[in-house]
Amino acid sequence: MLEHTGSQQDLHDRHIKLRIERLSMQYDDTRVLDDIDFEVQEGEFLSILGPSGCGKTTLLRILIGLITPVEGKILMDGIDITNLPPSARGMGIVFQNYALFENMTVLGNVEYSLKIQKETRKIARDKAMSIIDHMGLAEHIDKKPVSLSGGQQQRVAIARTLVMNPQVILFDEPMSALDVETRLALRKVIKQIQKEFGTTMIYITHDQEEAFAMSDRILVMEEAKISQIGTPADIIANPANEYVSKFVIANLQEKIDSLSRYAKVLP
Amino acid sequence: MNGSLSRRQQRFRLTGIQINHFILMVVFLFLLGLPLIRMFFNLNRKSILSVFQNPSFTRTLSNSIQVAGISTLITLSIAYLLAYCIERTKIKHTGTISILLVLPMLIPSISHGMGLILLFGNNGILTRLFALNTTIYGKWGIITGSVFYAFPVAFLMFINVLKYEDSAPYEAAQVLGIPRWRQLTALTFPYLRRPLISIVFAIFTMIITDYGVPIIVGGKYSTLPVVLYQEVIGQLDFAKGSVYGVLLLIPASIAFLFDVLNADTGNTSYVTHAFELRDSKIREAFAYIVCALGCLIVFLPISSFVILAFTRRYPSDLSATFRNVLNTLNLNGSRYLINSITIAIAVAMIGTIIAFSTAYLTARVRTRYSKYLHLITITSTAVPGIVLGLSYVLVFKTSFIYGTLAILIMVNLIHFISAPYLMMYDSLGKINENLEAVGQTLGIGRLRMIRDVFIPQSKATIFEMGSYFFVNCMMTISAVSFLATTANKPISLMINQFEAQMQLENVAVVSLAILIINLLMKVLVKACTKRS
Repeated sequence: MLEHTGSQQDLHDRHIKLRIERLSMQYDDTRVLDDIDFEVQEGEFLSILGPSGCGKTTLLRILIGLITPVEGKILMDGIDITNLPPSARGMGIVFQNYALFENMTVLGNVEYSLKIQKETRKIARDKAMSIIDHMGLAEHIDKKPVSLSGGQQQRVAIARTLVMNPQVILFDEPMSALDVETRLALRKVIKQIQKEFGTTMIYITHDQEEAFAMSDRILVMEEAKISQIGTPADIIANPANEYVSKFVIANLQEKIDSLSRYAKVLP
Repeated sequence: MNGSLSRRQQRFRLTGIQINHFILMVVFLFLLGLPLIRMFFNLNRKSILSVFQNPSFTRTLSNSIQVAGISTLITLSIAYLLAYCIERTKIKHTGTISILLVLPMLIPSISHGMGLILLFGNNGILTRLFALNTTIYGKWGIITGSVFYAFPVAFLMFINVLKYEDSAPYEAAQVLGIPRWRQLTALTFPYLRRPLISIVFAIFTMIITDYGVPIIVGGKYSTLPVVLYQEVIGQLDFAKGSVYGVLLLIPASIAFLFDVLNADTGNTSYVTHAFELRDSKIREAFAYIVCALGCLIVFLPISSFVILAFTRRYPSDLSATFRNVLNTLNLNGSRYLINSITIAIAVAMIGTIIAFSTAYLTARVRTRYSKYLHLITITSTAVPGIVLGLSYVLVFKTSFIYGTLAILIMVNLIHFISAPYLMMYDSLGKINENLEAVGQTLGIGRLRMIRDVFIPQSKATIFEMGSYFFVNCMMTISAVSFLATTANKPISLMINQFEAQMQLENVAVVSLAILIINLLMKVLVKACTKRS
C-alpha cells in the first residue's frame, strides 16, 4: 500500500471516485441540505467551505454513512453506496477533537481495527508500525493520547484511519483546535499523504485560507446549498455570486494579511 | 421510489437498541411503578379519615416537619463550615480529614440513634463522665441523631459545590475593588442558590423519611416514618401505612421535580481557575480547630461502639473481651451477616450492570426513548426507602419471592440505582462524542467498542458504582424493613431487634461490623482504581 503513489495525470482525465446526486436532508421542517449535486475525482483534494450551520457537517456524515439522507444517492466508482454501512464504504474519517481511544497507546489505537479484522498479530503490528513511522510518531508508540500534543494526537487519528487503507478520507475541521504553527505542519503531512497514497480527500472547513492553500477544488456552501464549486483560481477569478465574493474572497484577503504578519515574526 | 420506501420501513423497524430501551423501561416500571401504583390503590376512605381525624396526627406531622427543618438547618450550617475549611483555607491533610468526617456515612441511621443512647443515655458514657442529668430522648435527641446521620452527605455535597466554583469572578471583583461583603451577596449567593436548594431538599427528605434515629431516641416524640413503621410492623395495618407512605412521598417528589426541572439549566461551567488561597495563620488555625472538633464529635459514637463491644459489661466490668462479638455471631449474627453480604454483592454486580447498560443507552445511543428511560431511572430517588418497602410488601406479600433474598436484592437495586446511574451517565457523557462514528467507519461493532473502549475508560466509575451499591445495601434499614423475615434478614435489621431486647453490646458489635466491612470495601475499591 505504501508503494501506491499518486499519478501525475491532469485532474480532468481522472476517474470519478464519488458522485453525489440530488442529495437532500431534512430535520423536522428544517432543510439542512437541499438538492446537492457534485463529483469528486480520484486522488482529488476537495474542500467543503462554509460557515457553521451551512450543512457541511451533515453532508460529511451522510457521505460516510452515519446518517441516511431523505433523498438522493451517493455513487462510489459508479456503485450506489447510499445504504451501505460506514465500515463497508472504504472511507476513513478524522474529527476535530481526534476521538482517539484514550485507554489505548498510540500503537494500540492504530492496530486495534486491524486486530478486529482478524489480521494476524504480526501483520497488524507491522502495518501499524510502518504507518506510525510514516507519521513521525515512532518515538511515541507506547504513550497514551493524553500525554501527546494536539498536533500529535491528530497524527495518531490520521494514522488510525490510514492503516485501514481507505480510498477516501473525510476530514471534519481537523485543525480548528490547533495553533497556527501546528496547522501549517499538519497541512504538509496531509498533502504528503494525498500524494503518496493517492487517497481522495474531502476536507470540511470554515477557514478560507486553509481551503485555498490545500485544495484542488473548493465547494462553497451557503445555507444548505452549493454556491460554487471550482478550483481556487476559478473561484477568485469568477465568484459565482455576492456571497462567494464577500464571505470567501474578502475574508481570505484578511486571513492572508494576518498570516503574513505572523510569518514575519516567525524565526 | 423503491429505495425511499425501504428507508421508511427501516425507520419504523425496531432496532436491537430500541428493544433494549424497552426491556429496561419495562424492568424499571415493574420494579418501581407497579408497587407504587399498588400502594395508591391501597388507600381507602376509611383509613384516610382515621389517619387525619386522629388527634395525634397533626402533632406527628408538625413534629416531623419541625425536627426535619431544624436538623436540616443545623446540618447545613455545620457541613458548610467544614466544607469551607477544607476547600477554601490552606490547611493540610484535607484528604484524611474528609475521609474521617464522612466515615459515619457507612453505618445505618439507626446506629446514629444508638450512638447517642450509648453516649447520653441514662447509663451513657458521657452522662456518667460529666454527671449530666438531661435526657437525650425526645425532640432534641432526634435532631442530634439526624444531624449525625445527615452531616456527611451534606458535607460531600458542599465540597462538590465549592470545588467547582470558578474563582475568576472573584478575582475580577477584587481588581474592580468590590468589597468582600458585596462579593458575598453578588457572587456567592447567586452561585450557591440552586445547589443550595437541591441540598436543602435532599437533606430535609433524608431526615424526614428516616425512622432509624427517631425510633431509638424519639421516646414519646413520634414522627411520620415511625408511625408508618409501627402501623405496618406492629398493627399490620397496611391501609393506614399506605396513607403515611403517600404523605412521605410528598417532600421527596418536590425535591425530585425541582431537580428535574432545573436539570437543563444546571450549572455546567467548568473551573477555569482554582481559588488562589490567601495565607492567613488565623484562618488556618480556626480551620484546624473546627476540623479537629468535627472529627472528634464524629468519632464519639464510633468510640462508644468500640467501648461497648469490647468490654465485659459496661459500665460495671470494663475488662476487655471478645465475648460480645462471639455472642452476636451465635445469636444468628453470622447467618444474617452472610445474608447482608450476599445481598450487597448481588446488588453491586447486577446493579452495576443494569446501571451501566442504562447509562450507555441514554448517554451514548440517544434514541427518542432515551429521555423516558433516563427519567424513569432517576425517579427512584423520589421514593423513600420505607415507602418503597411498604409498596413491595403490598405487591409481593403472597408471592413465592417473599421471604427470599431475591426480593431484598430487587428492592435494594431499585432503591439505590439512581445515584450510580447518574455517575455513569456523567462519565459516559464526557467521553468523546465521535467515538461511535469512528468505530462504525473502522468496522468495530458496538459490543466490542463497549468492551474495549467504554468499559476501560470508565473503570473508576464502575468500581465507584459497585461500592455505592454495596455500602448502601450493607447499612440500609429502610426498604428492607418490611420485607425481611427470619430467613432473609440482613444484619442491619438486627439492631432493631437487639435494641428491643436491650442488648446494647450486640447493637455496638453489629454497628461496628457494618462499619468495618464497608470501610474494607471502600479501601478495596480505592486500591483497584489506583492500580488501573
